[in-house]
Amino acid sequence: METTLSDILQEIRSIYYYAPLAIKIAIIFIFIAVTATVLAYLVMLRSRYRNFRQNRLLRKMLPIMDDLLINEIITNPNIPQDVVPSKVALNLEPFDALPLHRRWAREMLTARIIHYRNNVSGSAGDLLRNLYLQLDLDKDAMRKLKSRHWNRKVEALTEFTLMDMPISDVTILPLANSRNRELRAAARQAYIKLSKNEPFKFFDSVTDPLLPWDQVELFRIITTTTDIAIPNFARWITYSSNKSVVSFCMKLVVHFNQLAAVPAIIRLLENRDHVLRADAIEALGRLKIAEVEDKLVHLYTSQPLFCQIAILKALGRIRSGRHIDFLRNEFLHSTDFDLRKAAARAIVKNEVMARGVIDELLSTTTGENLLILKHCMNPLIKY
Amino acid sequence: MSSVQEILGAFYDSSIFVYGLTLIIVYGVLAFLSIIAIRRYLNATQQSQLESLVTSPLAPGISILAPAYNEGLTIIANVRSLLTLNYPKFEIVLINDGSTDDSLEQLIQEFDMVAVDFAYNEKIRTKPVRNIYKSRNLAYSNLLVIDKANGKSKADAVNAGINAAAFDYFVCTDVDCVLHKDTLLELIKPVMQDGDRRVIAIGATLRIANSSEFDEGVMTRMRPPKAMLPRFQEVEYIRSFVLGKMGWSAMNCVPNVSGGLGLFDREIVIKSGGYDHKSFGEDMELLTRMCRYCEDNKIRYAVRYIPKTLCWTEGPASLQVFGRQRTRWARGLAQLMFAHRGVFLNPRYGRLGLVVFPYNFFFELLAPLVEASGVIVYLWLAFTGNVNWPYAILLLIFVYTYAIMITTFSILWDQLSFHYYKTVKEVLSLCIMPFLEFLLYHPLITFYSLKGYFFFLTNRRSSWGNMQRQGFKKAKTTT
Repeated sequence: METTLSDILQEIRSIYYYAPLAIKIAIIFIFIAVTATVLAYLVMLRSRYRNFRQNRLLRKMLPIMDDLLINEIITNPNIPQDVVPSKVALNLEPFDALPLHRRWAREMLTARIIHYRNNVSGSAGDLLRNLYLQLDLDKDAMRKLKSRHWNRKVEALTEFTLMDMPISDVTILPLANSRNRELRAAARQAYIKLSKNEPFKFFDSVTDPLLPWDQVELFRIITTTTDIAIPNFARWITYSSNKSVVSFCMKLVVHFNQLAAVPAIIRLLENRDHVLRADAIEALGRLKIAEVEDKLVHLYTSQPLFCQIAILKALGRIRSGRHIDFLRNEFLHSTDFDLRKAAARAIVKNEVMARGVIDELLSTTTGENLLILKHCMNPLIKY
Repeated sequence: MSSVQEILGAFYDSSIFVYGLTLIIVYGVLAFLSIIAIRRYLNATQQSQLESLVTSPLAPGISILAPAYNEGLTIIANVRSLLTLNYPKFEIVLINDGSTDDSLEQLIQEFDMVAVDFAYNEKIRTKPVRNIYKSRNLAYSNLLVIDKANGKSKADAVNAGINAAAFDYFVCTDVDCVLHKDTLLELIKPVMQDGDRRVIAIGATLRIANSSEFDEGVMTRMRPPKAMLPRFQEVEYIRSFVLGKMGWSAMNCVPNVSGGLGLFDREIVIKSGGYDHKSFGEDMELLTRMCRYCEDNKIRYAVRYIPKTLCWTEGPASLQVFGRQRTRWARGLAQLMFAHRGVFLNPRYGRLGLVVFPYNFFFELLAPLVEASGVIVYLWLAFTGNVNWPYAILLLIFVYTYAIMITTFSILWDQLSFHYYKTVKEVLSLCIMPFLEFLLYHPLITFYSLKGYFFFLTNRRSSWGNMQRQGFKKAKTTT
């Protein structure tokens, strides 16, 4: 007798119908597992094919795009030199060879423009930005900015930031306070880079902590963007209730060597938060504020360990040589290894004034203390 | 008597049913959470920010701890590989754990090293440190070599490295591992991105390096291993890291940061007592103690994983070495569960006590025992003619297809996210493995696990054994 597919299905149905619960569950899961596995393979193959196709397109289009950008924009001798690069009417005809009606082509060209802008300076960068605008490539980023997906918005903000495209405060400020961490960080970076009014305005309103990761990018943008007016950061050190903003502003004060902000930092030495106090001590040390040394030494005994280490490091950085005895005392009598090491390092950094003390310590100390001193004096050992 | 047997049989049946169903659900949940975590990771990763960190004065310092015992064959290339890492502020602390070969002499000669008076603070007790060396060559100024008496364990060597480390974070790796150049940037990122919790440990995906190509310690071409045993391990690693660890990471319930590569908060490690040199699963044991320390001291902590492959390691290619490795791992797990039994289902330890430990106990520790008992019962029933064969085969097909599905998902997640392998053939060579794993590889794992438990119960003395490295394949040079 011939068995047909419907017979097999009928058989499975009857097994399923009369089977106990465990077997019913097993049968359902077998179907799910087989289907899901087959689908997984199909998705994998599709993804590989798409990737292959994209790579093929990239290989084909990239040399064409690079040629166009170099020959028509960056090194084109026919572009008038007496006109502001942003006002030059570029010859867009050669770019018609590109399939710019396709999104992937526009995205690829935008990526190349950004790449070249990052690697050229002067008018060439402005010409590339001009091309980006004349080809309406900014419209894709504008659309992304209105997307429901936060990651698309982040992509748009990054593109605008890299292309120096102004965005209105009304659009960007709500994003700078978004609940999504990534979007919030990208919007703040874009705001500082692009806002022509008050780029640091969000420091006034930010309530959530500026994470160390976000600080890295903000620090880079603030310290490398040439056309933003750097304010006196004492304003936020004094009045901001956000500890991370205060801490970040101290790092900026150190970078820009803003001596006008020093009194605000000194006031932080009385702050109840010991992390903030340690940051303030570090900043004063890096700024080499000799006037604050007496105060630091006076505060020393009442501080927790890491603030004490920060004070010893600060005395080492300031190098006034006025507190060698204090450092010597700490080195000889402190019970904590890290304090003794920090004191020894500070003495060594004050070498010009502390030569006598170093010689004396080398001849009188023994055991671990001598080892610590030799460790700090050895130029091969950095830390 | 027969009714007792029936009751016991029914109890066994129902227990196994609930056990199996729970495991299936757990794997399903992990698969779902892992893809969410991977997507989140990919969306949040901007290469430009990593590049900003490379030049930033705000980057926290990291010490890389690499213990070495008789690694003379590859030690120079491996140190050179570590020196090429892309990070603004790091030091390499290489711990020569009393090697009997010429590792130390090679290092001294190659990197122009001299013994220095180093203030070594023994915060964690270790075997005596004989000497500490620094290079006279400025190009290697961030290299530190500790020469110590052999402690008969990786734990003792790493503890010496922790004592000498200069920075607040350290990366623990094996000197034979090859790291991605952005490893430090990637590993420090979760620490700097978490504002709510103190991130105490971060791990990343490891891969088997056996058939990949390397040039001067840098990975140039990633390939799945050609030999069967390492290829099984590759698939197992993908499932464990990309699907398992990422799923646990999404729940902040990561049970273990691999000894091959992990970044740790040095302060918490020291306060937790460092690595336990008596443990056979020292990496998992340390993480458990760190989590316990945080819970005891009300520190809001997190342990994170990242799905990107940052480390390649040579997988055991012979059954003998593989068996030794897996027996040790199983013994380590049994040791850990026994030593920290107070954590099990203890609400005081939060997720560690209520999720991580119960999962490890029921589905990692007990799994080989359950499987072994299942086989015995199966054989007994078959022998006595009490097997309903159609149902038994159906259940077997169910377990088989489900296992294939989960492993295929992990390969899929990996493929969709990273496209590591160049050709479809290479991907297909991996895709075949889930079909064979159930029949060839899994029984081996079960056997070695049971052997490990036996060694644990009988307190059998066992050594670390030599990994018998074959070295990595060099990239072909074009002339």
